[in-house]
Amino acid sequence: MKEEIAKIKENSQKEINSCQDLRQLSDLKVKYLGKKGELTVVLRGMGKLSPEERPVIGSLVNQVRDELDELFTQKEKELNRKELEKRLETENIDVTEPSKKVNLGSLHPITQVIQEVEEIFLGMGYEIADGPEVEKAIYNFDKLNTPPDHPARDLQDTFYITDDIVLRSQTSPVQARVMENQKPPIKIICPGAVYRSDSVDATHSPVFHQVEGLVVDKNIAMTDLKGTLEMFAKKCLGEKTKIRFRPHHFPFTEPSAEADVSCFVCGGKGCRVCKGEGWIELLGCGMVHPNVLRNCGIDPEEYSGFAFGFGVERIAMAKFGIEDMRLLFENDVRFLKQF
Amino acid sequence: MKASIEWLKEYSDIDVKPTELGDILTMTGSKVETIDEKGKEIKNVVVGKILEIEKHPDADKLVVTKVDVGTEKLQIVTGADNIKVGDIVPIAKDGAELPNGVKIKTGKLRGIDSCGMMCSVGELNLDLADYPGQIEHGIMILDKSLEKDLGKDIVEVLNLREDIIDFEITSNRPDCFSIEGLGRETAVSLNKEFKNPRGNLDNLEVEDKKEIEGLKVDIEAPDLCYRYIARVVKNVKIKESPDWMKRRLRACGVRSINNIVDITNYVMLELGQPMHAFDINSIEGKHINVRRAKNGEKITTLDEQERELDEEDLVIADDKKAVAIAGVMGGLNSEIENDTETVVFESAVFYGGSVRKTAKKVGLRTEASSRFEKGLSAENALRAVNRAVELVELTGSGEVVDGKVDVYPTKQEIHKIKLDVERINNLLGTKLSKQEMIDILEKLEIKVENDVAIAPYFRMDLTCLADIAEEIARFYGYDKLDTTLIKADTTLGVRNKEQKIIKKVRDVLVDSGLSEIYTYGFISKKDLEKSNISEEVQKYAITLQNPLGEEFKLMRPTTVPSMMQILATNANKKNQNVKLFDISRNYKNTNHQVEDGEVPVQEDILTIGMYGDDIDFYVLKGIIENVLEAISVNRYDVEKERDNKSYHPGRCANIKIGIDVIGTIGEVHPEVLQNYDIGKRAYLAEINITKLVKYSRENKKYVEIPKFPAVERDIAIIVDEEVEVGQIEKIITKKGKKLLESMKLFDIYRNEKLGENKKSVAYSFIFRDKNKTLSDEEINSVMDSIISELEKTLHAELRR
Repeated sequence: MKEEIAKIKENSQKEINSCQDLRQLSDLKVKYLGKKGELTVVLRGMGKLSPEERPVIGSLVNQVRDELDELFTQKEKELNRKELEKRLETENIDVTEPSKKVNLGSLHPITQVIQEVEEIFLGMGYEIADGPEVEKAIYNFDKLNTPPDHPARDLQDTFYITDDIVLRSQTSPVQARVMENQKPPIKIICPGAVYRSDSVDATHSPVFHQVEGLVVDKNIAMTDLKGTLEMFAKKCLGEKTKIRFRPHHFPFTEPSAEADVSCFVCGGKGCRVCKGEGWIELLGCGMVHPNVLRNCGIDPEEYSGFAFGFGVERIAMAKFGIEDMRLLFENDVRFLKQF
Repeated sequence: MKASIEWLKEYSDIDVKPTELGDILTMTGSKVETIDEKGKEIKNVVVGKILEIEKHPDADKLVVTKVDVGTEKLQIVTGADNIKVGDIVPIAKDGAELPNGVKIKTGKLRGIDSCGMMCSVGELNLDLADYPGQIEHGIMILDKSLEKDLGKDIVEVLNLREDIIDFEITSNRPDCFSIEGLGRETAVSLNKEFKNPRGNLDNLEVEDKKEIEGLKVDIEAPDLCYRYIARVVKNVKIKESPDWMKRRLRACGVRSINNIVDITNYVMLELGQPMHAFDINSIEGKHINVRRAKNGEKITTLDEQERELDEEDLVIADDKKAVAIAGVMGGLNSEIENDTETVVFESAVFYGGSVRKTAKKVGLRTEASSRFEKGLSAENALRAVNRAVELVELTGSGEVVDGKVDVYPTKQEIHKIKLDVERINNLLGTKLSKQEMIDILEKLEIKVENDVAIAPYFRMDLTCLADIAEEIARFYGYDKLDTTLIKADTTLGVRNKEQKIIKKVRDVLVDSGLSEIYTYGFISKKDLEKSNISEEVQKYAITLQNPLGEEFKLMRPTTVPSMMQILATNANKKNQNVKLFDISRNYKNTNHQVEDGEVPVQEDILTIGMYGDDIDFYVLKGIIENVLEAISVNRYDVEKERDNKSYHPGRCANIKIGIDVIGTIGEVHPEVLQNYDIGKRAYLAEINITKLVKYSRENKKYVEIPKFPAVERDIAIIVDEEVEVGQIEKIITKKGKKLLESMKLFDIYRNEKLGENKKSVAYSFIFRDKNKTLSDEEINSVMDSIISELEKTLHAELRR
């Protein structure tokens, strides 16, 4: 019997070692260790043995069984590893093939500029205010120190619905509405569409977008306006941007200024974008005219404020290198997808 | 306003280059538009005399000339045919440069050497009108007297060198619409003494008379005419103006007419006060009346156009007729003629608003009206008329009659403003002393007496402290102002609910592959019709009084036509797979608000427009569902809409919250597609963001992850084609009660076996009780109640 066991052990070890796949291995396991397996059969035949031999043979069988078990486990691991290696080998892919994705859409350049401006001013504690585009003339003009006979009210520049209702020619009426309804401190920006009676061409559009800003509080000074706009220009156009104030005139501010920024294309050396001047006219601004404060129910003896406003399209065009404004409103998807 | 530096030098020493002067003045508020350095571009062009002219041997249209240019004799070939031997002409020599950028070099013309070029008026960038007798297509023939200057530079000989600065004058500074005003700004900006060459006019005593040479003046409309002064010149000699005057007029872009008209223009340029001169004999009754026009009154202006006026317009009239439109243009009937003997010089001040309106109405924005409309000084008007007669004497143009007729019903107010040093410093953010402020103001002729600033007569724009602060800031230097940040209580910068929603919507749509567009709010009636917009909505459109054209005549009551237009643009350009969105407004006059002086309804609308291979109704629906989920709108119904004519009647739905329709989605109606020439199916959605805001409820709370197992069950039912799955799902939800965790429609199919007009709909359900493991009996009971309700209500048949 010992010989028989030794033979089973030898045969099985040989077969296990030469085994090539998992199924074969599992068959072998059945063949030797299964219910009807060779080793099991030996164990069953133990009844015929003498009581002295039984424990000897029994322990021998168990020893062989354990050895085989271990061998099967080892082999199984080895075959598993080989199989995985093989699979990994066959599952090689070309990582440079095209991806599968939902293509992203795009935000319009005008929105991108407005959002950038909004983020900067939100960060400085400004709220975003909004108002009607079809607006009362009294908010678009009268309250902003532009009485009925003022040249700015010309039919030539403003679209009229009736004598009292216009398409707002600036976002300033939003400022007037906010001042009427809110006590200082006021810190707002007003982005939005505005309307002027200009024919469509490469640099004009009867509809364009502005962002205006307004601050009203105690002791607001013109130097604050300059500092605020300088910070804005640096954040929006680059840290090296310089700002320059020139005196100007607007009915709703006094003193008034136009602000130029150093050309963000050439850095001030002079190029095509800045027409060789090194400066680009960016915005109009000034200290809120006392009449405007008074018209909106704020005491100019107690409060002062500043306001500024600029065109979004001009910044978008300069920033993205767009030379024809009409592209912004034509909405050719091949244009839109670039942003 | 153009000004020559030569003229400005009469007011201030100028020791900087024109470009530098331009920069300095720009920084003090007189913005320089352009600087024209006239004659600078002409190089090496000299006076020459033609000695010989011979035919070119090989070209019919060319001649070969010999020209004496002083130092040498040149052979020049030319095609000009207006020259003859002995003519004095401008010669561009070898190496010459002309204003048009051309450089002249010696070369051969048809085989013959040509060592230069004769120049035309145009080639020297001169104006034909300034050189009477010259022709456009031909060589400029110079005066014989210039023979003495052979070889001399043409720029010197003709005195062509002149620097002209063009300023942008802001509407608050009519005083700078004059050389005197600009001269004052120049002197202060350069920190030079203001020479005040017209100071003699300031306190000139001229006797007031009731009438002069029979001329009387009345102002019938003192609300529109603040002052009217007339002075008279007898024995007038109409002739050409002296060269110095013509030259200065020319520099400012004004054409010379004759001495009298030129004097009025010269005074306007010099002092900013428009003048008018007319023949006293054309004034009926020698009585000037400044009155409102009669309705329908007609006058032919100096430009020989007949103009019709009404009661809002002001005219200068005699006893019978209007002789001028006040502040705008004189009448032809009182024009200065060559035989005019007695001239009246008028210097008046009118109400700016009225002049502007009239100029606008008759379509005549003149040099005069653009000054009057800004509001002029009545004090300056007197200086101007006195200057005019001074120039009459200076040029020997006539005999000035003593005295003036001066009607001055509304005396110009002199503004006095308290000089509050602290408030000015607070407003500007400066720390200037009182004396520093006074120094600046006095240079600008703003006197300060007992801490009160007194605006000079020519600065009517200075009315309040802020105005004084601006004057101080201008000459302290805007560039010297510090940059500081607001010192105040902290404020919160956050987007409000609607702004957050709009930002979120944009993000979701961009993530879903849509590109944002921007459209105009303008639209035409035709656009509304092309998009099959209902009569009811069309009625809400708002009409512009002054549109840019028929296609921009209305403000849109719906965004649909704008999106359709952009889809059409893209289809026309053969763009594939176009997915667009727009967040913009509609404008609806729903209740005659506009006629009542109120603003119309203006809502923020999300509009989606798409076409392409992988796009259908359900793709669009999915996008909308994601948008609504992203902004926390969780309960809404999608309900079939058959009557919206912009959409396919079988493929359109309203999105409803309760009874409130918050949007419409669907396939574009084939008729509309055809109207826009779009050759494929397209899809549209309109979602009213303004309405959505109130339904968006950000209320996220953690729900415990289930501990007990779920049970899955599938059913398939056969229903009539008209039954919508939405109806089926409503029943399932109702009968599934709390145990039904979720359902998924996994199959819809149709075939002959099912029968005509039938479809099979299959669902898989997930049941779960959060407190225990469900038994089969419990689930069967729920399933039974679902099935029996489906059978009962929808005549569904269970497939087994």
